[in-house]
Amino acid sequence: MDIEMNSFTHNGNDAAPHSSNGPVTASNTADVTCRASEATETDSLLTVQVSASNGQSIPSSPTGIQKNAHTPTEPRTISNIRRELNEVVFWKVKMWMVIAFILLLILLVIIISVALCSAIHRDPDETFDPSLFKVPVYFNGSFLLPNLALKEEQVTSNYSNQSLSADLQNKLADLYRYSPALGRYFSKAEIRVLWNSSVTADYQLKFLMPEEQQDALRNFTLSREMVYNVFRQFLYDQEPGSSEPLYINPRSLKMF
Amino acid sequence: GRMQPSRLVLVLGLLSGEESCDNFTDLNLSHCFMGTSLYVRLLLYTRSNLDCGRELDHHRLSSQPLFNLSRPTAFVIHGYRPTGAPPIWIDHIVHLLAEQEDMNVIVVDWNKGAANLNYFTAVTYTREAARNLTGFIMTMEEEGAALSSLHLIGVSLGAHLAGFVGANLKGKIGRITGLDPAGPMFTSTTPEERLDPSDAMFVDVLHTDMDSFGLRGAHGHIDFYANGGVDQPGCPKTIFAGKSYFVCDHQRSVFLFLCALNRTCSLTGYPCSSYGDFLDGRCLQCEAFKPASCPVLGYDISRWRETLLRLGQTKVFFSTTASLPYKKLSYRVDMVTWNQYLRWGVVYIRLHSGRHFTEARVDHKLLRLEQYTSTRLLAQFDEDLQHIQKISLRISTGNVIGPRYKIRLLRIRFTPLERPERPLMCRFDIIMDENMEVAFRPLPCNSPH
Repeated sequence: MDIEMNSFTHNGNDAAPHSSNGPVTASNTADVTCRASEATETDSLLTVQVSASNGQSIPSSPTGIQKNAHTPTEPRTISNIRRELNEVVFWKVKMWMVIAFILLLILLVIIISVALCSAIHRDPDETFDPSLFKVPVYFNGSFLLPNLALKEEQVTSNYSNQSLSADLQNKLADLYRYSPALGRYFSKAEIRVLWNSSVTADYQLKFLMPEEQQDALRNFTLSREMVYNVFRQFLYDQEPGSSEPLYINPRSLKMF
Repeated sequence: GRMQPSRLVLVLGLLSGEESCDNFTDLNLSHCFMGTSLYVRLLLYTRSNLDCGRELDHHRLSSQPLFNLSRPTAFVIHGYRPTGAPPIWIDHIVHLLAEQEDMNVIVVDWNKGAANLNYFTAVTYTREAARNLTGFIMTMEEEGAALSSLHLIGVSLGAHLAGFVGANLKGKIGRITGLDPAGPMFTSTTPEERLDPSDAMFVDVLHTDMDSFGLRGAHGHIDFYANGGVDQPGCPKTIFAGKSYFVCDHQRSVFLFLCALNRTCSLTGYPCSSYGDFLDGRCLQCEAFKPASCPVLGYDISRWRETLLRLGQTKVFFSTTASLPYKKLSYRVDMVTWNQYLRWGVVYIRLHSGRHFTEARVDHKLLRLEQYTSTRLLAQFDEDLQHIQKISLRISTGNVIGPRYKIRLLRIRFTPLERPERPLMCRFDIIMDENMEVAFRPLPCNSPH
């Protein structure tokens, strides 16, 4: 067999100039498949010769080479593989079962680790320690309650000044507490309602922030723009022209 | 036998002393195969003979009473004609030019010369045709026409032809418009051998096919690059589409210009160094042209002319849709996240108005979302929806397995670029899952105080 391979190597090199004689097995098969298409007499002879030798060398060669060789002996290689797969490893377990089991095991390990990773993943943006939030930031402003001004007489009977303030405080507290960005820093809202010709509410919002990162927070998350616009956005999302007594006119919202 | 209606008209025309129309030379493939030698015809169209061209005598201009030299004159110059058939857009461009102002439209018909299977023959004829046209324009000048009132519109090879005429006349022609100047045989030539800004007082160029029949680079005072100047949307990608595979991108320059003349599409070009930078939203400033907007493709460039001449050469970019009216509506989108860790993703935005919606996919590259850093992107929508009631947003990070990350935005702002009268739209405090759509109602960004 060795002698056959060598003779082929030389022939192949003569026809297509390859500089190295070293790697015989892999490059040979490739050469042969290419050259088989060039239909000269000597080539076709060579192909037959070499493919025969390939067929013999298959059981001992890696599978990569078998794929490359498009030779007439392919049905035989397949039957060889089938035979090997059906070999009994131990008890009634055959080779293919062992391979399938290993593949399944690998897949299972991957799935479990991914699932585990997802399950134990803690979002760093959701983890915070409220006890570190100590530095207070205040925002003051006012807004109008147009629905109260319209029917002052009826409403005053239902609404004491105190309960109105309390309801408004809850409304503001809820809106800030449910804000994804501001919720964790929100501390409390205070309201003072003024009954004039129009009903005005003055408010003060208190936020607490950690001592670290104060500047970034003041410039972005706890900036006046952000606190103001979260409020304004909430008001814009209300039903426009609602007759609810606690309806706040979005255009009247001021923040200093 | 019975008389054909067309012959009847001809006879009646002859009886009433009217001349018959001179139409664009119609050749066929056999002419191209045999080869044609150069013969330049000048066909005059005015508002009083829009559908009936009159051939002009090269030397006795007064023989054609419709030719009024006190009016501005536009020359339409076609390019290489591999089939010999008249260009399909000739009638259209004549009509549209006559609509712009009361002028003489002269179709430079050098089909005999341009119709050759051998492209190189056509290229060599451009010089000769340019000499011919130069002679005619010099006669016009002698008869009292002002060179500054002339506008040469050249398509492909015709653009270089116009450039040669302009160079022959020492750049004193008012304007040359080059529609995708031809690339083959011109790629490595000097400015004297192709269209360049010194050929006229103002040169504007539109590029649509720089990677095959068009010419790379900048060749005018302003160069418009539609979709980067290569591969137009809606044009076939494979050779199986037949003829249109070859000509679609190149021809798009003419269709875009026609559309701009028609005012059905206003295509604004943004000054930028490359199309990539433009798509990244890095070139959306138009301060240089204030109080005007950024330059708009078309006939009337008076608002930008002085600025552009001062700037020397300007490259401007825009994107189009696949079909009429070609215009895309652009928004500048700015967003700021407060996520502690960096995220990368592509963004899909939908604008909803009633039951209509239009989508922009900003996925040419991954966007960087960094805490407290404004991320700017250019969102281009196929449709122009007026009253936007809802916006939906999806940020796709490409993560399929593993934990589902959340993306948290402090603010997202949409600035309509070509409609300064429309309000800026904002939304604050958004939290969304990666790869999932979130919908919200935008609110005006500007607070009352």
